[in-house]
Amino acid sequence: MATAITNPTEFEYAGGTVAREQVSLWRDGLRRLRRNRLALTAGIYLILLVVVGLISLVWTPYNPNRIGTCETYALPGGGHPLGCDDLGRDSLSRLMVGTQVSLAVGVATSVIVLLVGVVVGLVAGYFRGPVDAAFSLLINIFYGVPPLLVAVALYVLLGAGLVNIIIAISATVWMDMARLTRGQALSIREREFIEAARAGGARAGKIVFGHILPNALGPIIVQATFVIPVAILTAAFLSFLGFGVPPPRADWGGMANEGLPSLQGGFDPYILLWPALALSITLLAFNFFGDGLRDAFDPRQKR
Amino acid sequence: MRGTLIYIGQRLVLIVFTVLVVSFGVFFIVHLLPGNAFVSDRVHGQALQILLHEYGLDQPIPVQYWNWLTGIVLHGSLGVSLYIRGLPITPLVLRELSVSAMLGGAALIITIGLGVTFGVLAAVRQNSWVDYLLTTIAVIGYSVPSFVIASLGILIFGQWLNNLTNGVIYYPEPWTGTYGTLAELSVPAIALGFYTSGQITRITRAAMLDVIQQDYIRTARAKGLVDRVVVLRHALRNALVPVTSILGPTVISIIVGSVVIENIFGIPGLGKEFVESIFQHDYNVTVGVFTIYAVLIGVANLGVDLIYTVIDPRIRY
Repeated sequence: MATAITNPTEFEYAGGTVAREQVSLWRDGLRRLRRNRLALTAGIYLILLVVVGLISLVWTPYNPNRIGTCETYALPGGGHPLGCDDLGRDSLSRLMVGTQVSLAVGVATSVIVLLVGVVVGLVAGYFRGPVDAAFSLLINIFYGVPPLLVAVALYVLLGAGLVNIIIAISATVWMDMARLTRGQALSIREREFIEAARAGGARAGKIVFGHILPNALGPIIVQATFVIPVAILTAAFLSFLGFGVPPPRADWGGMANEGLPSLQGGFDPYILLWPALALSITLLAFNFFGDGLRDAFDPRQKR
Repeated sequence: MRGTLIYIGQRLVLIVFTVLVVSFGVFFIVHLLPGNAFVSDRVHGQALQILLHEYGLDQPIPVQYWNWLTGIVLHGSLGVSLYIRGLPITPLVLRELSVSAMLGGAALIITIGLGVTFGVLAAVRQNSWVDYLLTTIAVIGYSVPSFVIASLGILIFGQWLNNLTNGVIYYPEPWTGTYGTLAELSVPAIALGFYTSGQITRITRAAMLDVIQQDYIRTARAKGLVDRVVVLRHALRNALVPVTSILGPTVISIIVGSVVIENIFGIPGLGKEFVESIFQHDYNVTVGVFTIYAVLIGVANLGVDLIYTVIDPRIRY
């Protein structure tokens, strides 16, 4: 091994002459993340995906919504590398634009869930008693209904639109975050440093957000990354069932839905294949990346 | 034993409470929706008022809910359909429930069978190519949406193999009868079960690895038991405890997935009915399906908690 050492700090560490450099929790986690090749590859793919999404805001090979860009059901080839759909719209352009919806739904839902779940969890875990009982009952009730159906009902109630999809999905996936944060708060509030803070006269708000939250942040962030693929999957299910962003705007679930008849008819599987592939790879990447984050920042938790 | 009965009683009270809250919530939401079931009939003015009155839709929502609730409790009736006017919902929904239950049951068997088998194999051959292959399949399983698997199934069995074998292997689609044949059931059930099997593989593998390191396994090996007996009788039983804990979420996943799968394959189950009832403004059906799902999930979770006590006698309530 000694021949392979090129990094001076590693050398010193290996030699045992110098104590290991003091690193913060975050830098330590980042280093562990960088060593995980699978998670790193997934991360690079996700960055590329964001870039594609940004590019598609200003440029796509063809107008994604223009009907008759080429022949209907045109197979991949020529000026249209991924072919065209049942209305003669360029599949590559639509696939690129579809990135926006998936990313927007994933990230926005994750942020909403983070805010709602953390606040509910912290309040329930810190104040305990009747507050906790009320929130726990609410969480249990939400666990008692199939999430997709609630999302459909909310979507129909609120009306079509990207923001409403995000709200509908957030309403069905916030419970895990709340439960996790509540558990963390319950255990951290018993530790000595919280007692010390209380003895020092800190108010509840300062204790909850200044002392408990920072110490619970690792698992919370990991959970937030796992919300993203769940939200993207739910959004794809919704639009696959016909409750997606209103047409003609392209999104992967809706594209798959439009491609289903031509697959079942047996004449053009590609219309469905591309969005299905894009969705699958993206969800895989988010799951791998989330796994890597968990191993890096939350090493005590085992699954 | 008495403790268990009290526990079951408490849980049943909670289920009833949850179902009441959920059904009222959904009742409230669907009645807030724009439009009504009679829009497509172009009924206006007084004719519409008469129709609304006939179905009790002109009353305040709490009153309507109370009528609906007493209908269930007193007559076991979920009301009548507004789309196919006057058709009693209960027998319709119960038939669809049996179709969905057949599909979901098949998917559950596939999920547990695949998941536990893969998990055990991966754990026994830890860090070999078997392990890597099976864990990769598991991650693919819970990353790829079920409608993608379903589409692949249609493509492979309905078209490629059909063309290759000149129609010897042929996957018929959509369903022709109410219940479908075994062949018709196969592809939807696999598509539905594959997603959740990934999570079960993961948990089984982790639990098996945990158990295998324990002393009593070494003792069992030391006294000369064959590997198969050690793994299946000694290790697997204890590894199944954490696996049981995700059976509840698994059932919910299968219910959610069945909504999508039933719509792809044209299976006349609850999930298809749910989506249709939303599009048709058939409020009573929507509420009925929702309520059945809430009961189903409550009972499934209770069942899982009781299975715990069977698998691990240390757990008591």
